[in-house]
Amino acid sequence: MAELVGSILILIGAFFHFSAGLGMVRMPDAYTRMQAGTKASTLGNTLVLTGLAFYHPGWTLKLVLIIYFVLMTNPVSSHALARAAHFIGIPMAGNSGIDALRDAQQTKRSDP
Amino acid sequence: MRRASIVFAITFFGLLFASVAINHTQSVSLWPLARSYVELVPRELGAPNVITGILLNYRAFDTLGEVAVLFMVAAGVGLVLGRQPNPTVADPPETARPSSEIVQIATRILAPLISVFAAYIIMNGHISAGGGFQGGAVLASCLILWLLADAQFQVDVKLLGLLESVAGVLFVLVGIAGLIFAGGFLDTRVLPLGQLGAFFSAGAIPILSLLLGIKVGCELSVILARFRA
Repeated sequence: MAELVGSILILIGAFFHFSAGLGMVRMPDAYTRMQAGTKASTLGNTLVLTGLAFYHPGWTLKLVLIIYFVLMTNPVSSHALARAAHFIGIPMAGNSGIDALRDAQQTKRSDP
Repeated sequence: MRRASIVFAITFFGLLFASVAINHTQSVSLWPLARSYVELVPRELGAPNVITGILLNYRAFDTLGEVAVLFMVAAGVGLVLGRQPNPTVADPPETARPSSEIVQIATRILAPLISVFAAYIIMNGHISAGGGFQGGAVLASCLILWLLADAQFQVDVKLLGLLESVAGVLFVLVGIAGLIFAGGFLDTRVLPLGQLGAFFSAGAIPILSLLLGIKVGCELSVILARFRA
């Protein structure tokens, strides 16, 4: 029973990894590609590792540590990359509409 | 055209990985050389991790050579990049764009975690997967994180160089101790083997692992710091 639950979790995680890969190919600009790659692969990693914990209950603590590490590093690194890309002026896709970071900088500049 | 090349790449790699997966057979027995190592390392050296046993005893001289190569790289990078920073080319640290608050806080949380993990890898090299080289690299990755998060962070290159030299000298001294008290240069059986799998066991392998970790970590850190300056 535990193995079945673990297998299903790993399968769902693999599906999210697949959607991350699909997003990298299909998304229109650098930011959305980064977003697809990070969000989906973070969740996919978490699910796969949780499924692994069902297979090997002895590894649970180590797996929790790895999940914590992935949850800490993956979004932060993606954030740093996206910020750097924004600062060197990599364009967004035409229909993005909103650029919150640029707006925030403009308000900061206009009111000293 | 582009679509066709993508489809081609996907089919190519798919077939490649499929052939690997289909042709994979679990090998039932070890090759004679591998079998002799697998039997010898736990018995003679008292290390459950056969690879570390090989790297830090039978092939420790080779490991010393690898560290020497890394030292040459650090020296070469220092020779090329170690001059006084050119103010017209290099960004002075004061005008460099500060990293965001998210990165700074994440660094404060992650750096101790990474350091502890590096220490774990280094000190468990003789028991589980790990060893000095890998741990040293993880240690240097912690320094990259600090350099990214804090533009003003100054690396004491001289101190790192001193630590690295001391670790290297001690490594060779342990090797000479093996020459005098045991079977040859870098023989790790100068210390009692202890119980198989215990933390203090496997002779001098944990000591060599620790020295290797310090040396590799310092060398990689110096290289990184040079590239930043």
